[in-house]
Amino acid sequence: MFKGRGKVSMGAFAAAVALSAAGAAGLWASHALAQPGVVAGPFTEAQAQAGQAVFTGRCASCHEAGGETVRLISSGFTDVWRARTTRDLYTRIKTTMPFGNPGSLSEAETASVVAYILKGNGAAAGATAFTPATDVSINTIIAARRDAYAGYVSLSGMPAATGITFPGTVAKYTPVTEEMLLNPPAADWLMHYQNYAGWSHSPLKQINTKNVQNLQLRWVWSLDDGERQQITPLVHDGVMFVSTAINNKVQALNAATGDLIWENSLGPRLENQVNATARAMALYGNQLFYPASDATIYALDARTGKVNWKFKISNYGRDKVGGMMIADGKLIAGLGVCDEASLQDRCFIAAYDVKDGHQLWKTYTVAYTGEPGGNSWGKMTNAERSGADAWIAGTYDPKLRLIYFGTGQAKAGQNGIGDKLFSNATIALDVDTGKLKWYHQTAPDEGLDLDEVYEKILVDNGSQKLLLSAGKPGILWKYDRTNGQFLDYVPMVFQNVFTSINRKTGRGTYRADILKPEPGNSRPSCPAQSGGHNWPAASYVPEDDVIIYPLMQICVTSRGDMIGNFEAPASDGYLGRLSAYRVKDLKPVWTLQQRAPFLTSSMTTAGGVGFIGDWDRTFRAFDVKTGKTLWTTRLGTTAQGFPTTFTVDGEQFVAVPTGYNGGSPQIRPSSMFAFERNRPLVGHAVYVFALPKAQ
Amino acid sequence: MVILRIVSRAIAAAIFFAAAPAFAADNYQTDIGPTPKNGRQGANVQGRGTVLATLDNNKFSLQGKFSGLSSPATEARLHVGNVMGGTGPAIGGLKIPQAQSGEISGTFTLTRDQIAALKLGKLYVMLDSQSAPKGNLWGWFQPEHVTVPPGVPQMDHWYIPNILEDESNDPAKKRNS
Repeated sequence: MFKGRGKVSMGAFAAAVALSAAGAAGLWASHALAQPGVVAGPFTEAQAQAGQAVFTGRCASCHEAGGETVRLISSGFTDVWRARTTRDLYTRIKTTMPFGNPGSLSEAETASVVAYILKGNGAAAGATAFTPATDVSINTIIAARRDAYAGYVSLSGMPAATGITFPGTVAKYTPVTEEMLLNPPAADWLMHYQNYAGWSHSPLKQINTKNVQNLQLRWVWSLDDGERQQITPLVHDGVMFVSTAINNKVQALNAATGDLIWENSLGPRLENQVNATARAMALYGNQLFYPASDATIYALDARTGKVNWKFKISNYGRDKVGGMMIADGKLIAGLGVCDEASLQDRCFIAAYDVKDGHQLWKTYTVAYTGEPGGNSWGKMTNAERSGADAWIAGTYDPKLRLIYFGTGQAKAGQNGIGDKLFSNATIALDVDTGKLKWYHQTAPDEGLDLDEVYEKILVDNGSQKLLLSAGKPGILWKYDRTNGQFLDYVPMVFQNVFTSINRKTGRGTYRADILKPEPGNSRPSCPAQSGGHNWPAASYVPEDDVIIYPLMQICVTSRGDMIGNFEAPASDGYLGRLSAYRVKDLKPVWTLQQRAPFLTSSMTTAGGVGFIGDWDRTFRAFDVKTGKTLWTTRLGTTAQGFPTTFTVDGEQFVAVPTGYNGGSPQIRPSSMFAFERNRPLVGHAVYVFALPKAQ
Repeated sequence: MVILRIVSRAIAAAIFFAAAPAFAADNYQTDIGPTPKNGRQGANVQGRGTVLATLDNNKFSLQGKFSGLSSPATEARLHVGNVMGGTGPAIGGLKIPQAQSGEISGTFTLTRDQIAALKLGKLYVMLDSQSAPKGNLWGWFQPEHVTVPPGVPQMDHWYIPNILEDESNDPAKKRNS
């Protein structure tokens, strides 16, 4: 975050040292930020110390991993909690934590964890012990930490610049039309998944199974480190568009050479770990749409980077722009991280006019009382209902005029309430009105974080119009996308959450002890929250009718001191799996496993070659028919994001992003790899490969 | 190193299963890996092993190896969990050396319920060590199946444990195994 380069003011240096120390040494180091004169917090030193032990045993496996993330010590915490009270924080932890076994912390344990977190964020211990009734405004006791962050300056010692920080103009740029999005030019990668059907597949075949072993690095472009780096390098007319979530910087590069054409530093810059991830930008007309981390959608002139318009889709808390796409000339976006218990924080999918950003329609993904599905939340008040984030970009069938999105888990995650519609579901919306056409929920009424939000892949099999989807349970579901009828499924990894799945309805039956925990017994969940499948998207190879899924084989359990992540049974220590299934009948075609999980999407081409990258810095090409590895290279740090391929002047290139930060698919293996494998905690970049010039 | 492990495991399996009678015996295997941990515990929860087993009527014989512990092993047991991937009470102790690597073995007479649990993948090995006294390596027994080195594709079918009743009751719809 604060790399040594150039002059740095003493104030900034002091802040940097303090913050680096906090990151390196864990929560305790941050108490150095507390300043004399700060009002003593409503907890004792002994409570904070006891809280450290509880946090380590019961919380750290999710909230801290490998010494590289301190997720509760940042503006990610203070932004959300400074306007609330210590009693709110206590209640939140007591009723929702730890994962998988909420309510199992005693009052004293919960109070100590509150004390630990408050102290970590700069509050000073006092003489009064924290109790469940303690009700103090958090902002009054952690102000010192906010002050420390307020002194941020750029690495050059000057205040971080915003706006156009590198002016330039794309020499030749053709406006992106709906027709181009309906039939994407092979030379370009115009949208998140390459086409509306979500295939992550290119018709290019210059790089093929016979010559892919000759791939060479053509250029690399470093991106600003920090935050989750899971971008999709979009390419149009020989221009590549990339972004960095840490500071909301958008850049246009010459896709053949890696030269910078223009740069717009939109800001704001964020401290670490606030769930900002700009996976999917979108192109339409002469505009590039960017989902900023402060829930603002920017429409930039793709030729110059200048802002045409911007629109903040939510003003609440830490909300983010989730999945974003163009469909039928509209900008469609889901709201993400909308998981607070508040009437102001209600997840939705909405359509916006590309001309000025005005809202065309909005559909909420959380059903309130009196609405369709409203009875599925039991006795929860509307304010208590949250989650069902649409944080992954959707797909689109222009003939049916339906867009397909997924939704995440309901918050707070508890069993025994009701189905909690429309969480953990695949949903189809009318592109003209946003009206819900159908939904299918794969994990109703769950408390294990079983997102079904991921890519919805559309395939026609004869007259059948299919939709393929896989969520965290790692089960591949097949539907009729005209009406949502469940057709078939196949488990792609070991799961022990469901004991049966109704073959007519697709509804699963949870293991009995998930709904009613057995006292004293473990409560394992396979897969863990990292998911059997997560955001690294599958690709569909139409030439072979094969769908290829990046998968992960990690479980999590909770029982006293036995909480944490572990290798799934029969995984033989292989956390990563890549599996191909024939769409027609879901027949297994091939699979391969390895120690490191895959952390890029699968990207395939008509040349019969697929590409995928992993945690351990390997980027590989594989034969889509057999899974056989055809070529590998090692990158600077974890390959993470969405590889793309494109041509410039007839020459095919392959791009892959790298980034070391991320959510549970990155955090959990990082925790399990500690003391086993290493990768640099710097190195966000995009690497571009091509065949030697002579070929 | 990993390939060596796979090859040696395959050889061990061949010898072990070849020595077992060709009738009535069911063969099982498990790769024992690190128990749950977070980044701070990582140095204490290291190592890996393989255990092969045969069920002959109600006699359950197991034999295997482990290595790479960060401290000497202290105790190992056969347990029955509440679910495949879950924990539960011990059935009995296993013979191990008080060392960071070595062989693991034991023989048990299983009850009918324990045999049923074995067939559902609930029986597991737990090995403790000085630095991880509450569990260092564990793994759930699976029916004998093919394992391959990292990155080597398996074609057409492969082994994934499955607890879904619908699938296990209908072999025609059973996939991936």
